[in-house]
Amino acid sequence: MSIQYEAPLADSFGVADSFPKDFGYGEEEEEEDIEDNPTPSDSKPRILLMGLRRSGKSSIQKVVFHKMSPNETLFLESTNKIYKDDISSSSFVNFQIWDFPGQVDFFDPTFDYEMIFRGTGALIFVIDAQDDYVEALGRLHLTVSRAYRVNPEINFEVFIHKVDGLSDDHKIETQRDIHQRANDDLADASLEKLHLSFYLTSIYDHSIFEAFSKVVQKLLPQLPTLENLLNIFISNSGIEKAFLFDVVSKIYIATDSSPVDMQSYELCCDMIDVVIDVSCIYGLKEDGTGSAYDKESMAIIRLNNTTVLYLKEVTKFLALVCILREESFERKGLIDYNFHCFRKAIHEVFEVGVSTSRTSTQPAGTPLMKTVALNGTPRSTV
Amino acid sequence: MEKMTRVSSTISGCTMFCHLDAPANAISVCRDATQVVVAGRNIFKIYGLEEDAFVERLNLRVGRKPSLNFSCADVMWHQMEENLLATAATNGAVVTWNLARPCRNKQEQLFTEHKRTVNKVCFHPTEVNMLLSGSQDGFMKCFDLRKKESVSTFSGQSESVRDVQFSIKDYFTFAASFENGNVQLWDIRRPDRYERMFTAHTGPVFCCDWHPDDRGWLATGGRDKMVKVWDMSTNRVKEIYCVQTIASVARVKWRPERRYHLATCSMMVDHNIYVWDVRRPFIPFATFEEHRDVTTGIVWRHQHDPYFLLSGSKDSTLYQHMFKDASRPVDRANPEGLCFGLLGDLAFAAKESLMSAPQSVGDVGRKTYPGGDRRYPIFFFKKPDVTEQFAQVSSALSVFESEAGSGVGMDWFINTAQSYLLSGKPFVELCEHNAQVAKRLNRPQESTTWTMLRIMFSEPANPSLSSNHNLNKSGNLPLVNSFSMKEMSAALNERNKENRQDNLHSLETNLNNNDENEETEGSEGQAEYLFGDAELDDDDLYSMEHENQAAEEPEYLLPQEAFPLRHEIMDHPSAPEPVQEKPESPHVSGSEAESTCLTPMESFSLISVSQLLFSPHLPPKFFCPIVKEMLCYYAEQGDVQMAVSVLIVLGDRIRKEIDELTQEHWYMSYIDLLQRFELWNVSNEVIKLSTCGPIMCLNQASTTLHINCSNCKRPMSNRGWICDRCHQCASVCAVCHHVVKGLFVWCQGCSHGGHLEHMMEWLKQSRHCPAGCGHLCEYT
Repeated sequence: MSIQYEAPLADSFGVADSFPKDFGYGEEEEEEDIEDNPTPSDSKPRILLMGLRRSGKSSIQKVVFHKMSPNETLFLESTNKIYKDDISSSSFVNFQIWDFPGQVDFFDPTFDYEMIFRGTGALIFVIDAQDDYVEALGRLHLTVSRAYRVNPEINFEVFIHKVDGLSDDHKIETQRDIHQRANDDLADASLEKLHLSFYLTSIYDHSIFEAFSKVVQKLLPQLPTLENLLNIFISNSGIEKAFLFDVVSKIYIATDSSPVDMQSYELCCDMIDVVIDVSCIYGLKEDGTGSAYDKESMAIIRLNNTTVLYLKEVTKFLALVCILREESFERKGLIDYNFHCFRKAIHEVFEVGVSTSRTSTQPAGTPLMKTVALNGTPRSTV
Repeated sequence: MEKMTRVSSTISGCTMFCHLDAPANAISVCRDATQVVVAGRNIFKIYGLEEDAFVERLNLRVGRKPSLNFSCADVMWHQMEENLLATAATNGAVVTWNLARPCRNKQEQLFTEHKRTVNKVCFHPTEVNMLLSGSQDGFMKCFDLRKKESVSTFSGQSESVRDVQFSIKDYFTFAASFENGNVQLWDIRRPDRYERMFTAHTGPVFCCDWHPDDRGWLATGGRDKMVKVWDMSTNRVKEIYCVQTIASVARVKWRPERRYHLATCSMMVDHNIYVWDVRRPFIPFATFEEHRDVTTGIVWRHQHDPYFLLSGSKDSTLYQHMFKDASRPVDRANPEGLCFGLLGDLAFAAKESLMSAPQSVGDVGRKTYPGGDRRYPIFFFKKPDVTEQFAQVSSALSVFESEAGSGVGMDWFINTAQSYLLSGKPFVELCEHNAQVAKRLNRPQESTTWTMLRIMFSEPANPSLSSNHNLNKSGNLPLVNSFSMKEMSAALNERNKENRQDNLHSLETNLNNNDENEETEGSEGQAEYLFGDAELDDDDLYSMEHENQAAEEPEYLLPQEAFPLRHEIMDHPSAPEPVQEKPESPHVSGSEAESTCLTPMESFSLISVSQLLFSPHLPPKFFCPIVKEMLCYYAEQGDVQMAVSVLIVLGDRIRKEIDELTQEHWYMSYIDLLQRFELWNVSNEVIKLSTCGPIMCLNQASTTLHINCSNCKRPMSNRGWICDRCHQCASVCAVCHHVVKGLFVWCQGCSHGGHLEHMMEWLKQSRHCPAGCGHLCEYT
């Protein structure tokens, strides 16, 4: 991985979680304070990546979290052990990828699936759409029904993967078919409550990032608040579209409520790449220390179609990337002031998140109302 | 009620617009079509629709410090109750407004049950108090306006809801569209589970709209740039129409009173509003191009009037479009199409008016095919009319089939590809063979080329072997002839290839009996020039520019060389003419006379010097530039076959002269052509013999062959001959029951097969599988 981050700043932000009990992010916060926490890794909600062998799990993980170029994934060896990839040191989102080798026999008595599923926030099951997926569907059913019995809180996500090789009609037909069969299987097992979400993904375009974004967003209890803050920010600043990005993975953890357009998203992803790359070359100190992304990080790119891209640091893992028109950008002072308020509000949201998960008494709606009120005050006319 | 609202004749107006203060997000009209409400993040106003202008009636965004409840994502005017409006706020609130309230603040009810942005609100079409909302948080809520909170909640299972629409015909049904591409149908009385769900689009579905008249027709539009029309009335949801647009579809609205028309606007990039006829999905029926930024809301002004469309946009304008002012892209479309078939057939579609009489078609063709009569293709009128519904674009398709054996056909290509030898014999023999082939196929130019190549590049050590009398039989003399010609006033450009070839024929004839040459020659040299060798002479015949540079060179070079005369040739200076050429010569000259107006030359001095072309001290390398030029020439003429064949046969002798990319390009083109003609064997041979890295790799891709075990019919894992499931040898011949080593052929239906020759024998007798499984095997 090319980006190195310096030691955590004083105000690093954990993410409060939707899970009532034992794996709150608050503990994660403390974990930084108390280094000898007995089982630190087990206290984070996990994202499990599962699927048959050669369905593309390792490739997904490498492409999304390790910036591997999609073509290089051809040379990945097949995984033969559970691979825990803890990316919380570099990313805003605290989760682990448990890359199961496809051939692992999950019902081996020595395999403690109870332990595994109990701490899991989302289970991603990868199905190779270019292959015959009947076997994969059987495996999917087995996996999710087991997992559901252990932990009904898990979000079950199904990635219909490698769709780059399919035509548009074929894609939708495949999705429909997989959806139908998987849900029929569940209905037969009277597990109607178990909900599967389906995504068409490919590592050769941004669909895998978008799908991952959706998965991560579902694990964020602050999502409505963040979305509202973004809504307020963009409507008061004359911005067309704003994304809150996790810089390392280029997953967007929140965006305003207008629909996401793929081209805009790709543009913003590319901008992050450009900024980090340039910063890696010129931004480091002479002795090679320093980080490519810090409090000063900021970038403006003017496109020739009267569009401006604007990137600014929010927290040490997060960046705000906006798309706006040139004429709106004439009021840069206003935008910067609004951004200042927005940034403050985000910091407060996460502080509240930390304190609520510590005390576990405050209802989740409170930070929303608070920040809305707070941000509503310094509003300027646009 | 419908009769009451049938007042479309009273609505009048023109195309007009007004500036808003801020971008609009949504618009809605009231039932009697006299007022329109515009809502956006910073605007919430009601405009009256006058004859020729919008008049602001009311600003609902009142108060000293407007709250976020005013920031609207969607707005809807109740179609029964003309004072009732509902808005969806970006902060998750659903607000209803009562215009009848006496005070300035018209806000009536506020529901803050959604956690995230509410994307859509929808009133029940006939029920006054029923309101439905769909939100980003994945829930749809149904509100009874007489109560303080929602009466039921529908869960979309954590996917964001983009649109909700009550069915117009079914009282209890509503449709919801989702960000994951699904569309769900719900019964308002059953909040626990959807009635029906289907995947409509890849990517989010942004909008849906029920057909106003057809029960069960639902139009959806999504990020995948499609508008699809679904028939819900059947058991299985069926896609009945699909329109491909150029940008993601933000809104879709059926046009009133027109069964197949719908209006769409896009979310990004494209600012226009299109009206489509769904039966004709490739070109919009009408376009409104007034907006300068993305259109966010469209609505037909009156539910029974198809001529007025209102639209709001991010460019802060509100437009009323008149249908008569719409631009019709059909009028500007080019209704002609032209396409070449593989075997030289030509398909041509044009407006019917242009092609009314078949005779005129023939005239059109005559212009495009100048030349001899025998090369006219056959014309026939295939389909008089393709699309009856749209009279203004009815077009005719004609297919011109090329005659078998005519110049347009590609038979020569197939024959040549199959008979050329590219390897496996000494160079000299290959050249000879290929020359013969070309000769046989009546392509003397290529034949000459091969012969010349042989002479130029064969080893000096054994010249006598190669240039024995059989060469003379082939009718081509390795002579260096230098003769001068006067410029002829012929337009070389107009001459087609066939003519050139014919010229070549006669030229050769002349060369053969050069002593008593009395026939006028059709070669149009521009100036006096020297036939350095036959190569050159080919080139000269084709292009003038070429000739000048190429001709200079040998002129200076050749005389310096002392060419020893080759006695064999001297012995037979006038070789017997090949039989096939005899009838051709007069014919050709006849046709030339009429086509290019050649006049006999007065002073045709032919100085013939029969010489041995190469001497031991003239290395083959000397010819490389000429050969290279020749190859490029062939490739440019479209005869890539010749270029590649020569390239392969010459091998190292010429390879270094031509840069890799050009070679690769030629190879690729030739292989592509071969594969189109299904000449797999030839194509594979070419790939094998090629020396370009990328070409050789073609054969190394996808080398896996998936086979089934003939016993258990399961797929074999690639572990040799033994099936790992039934532990039997899989590749046993079904006829002789021996293990097949070598060519194994099997039926893809039943997985049985065997030795190629055994199977062929068997299939002569019976069509059934020799293994006795009863399968009617098919081998292609």
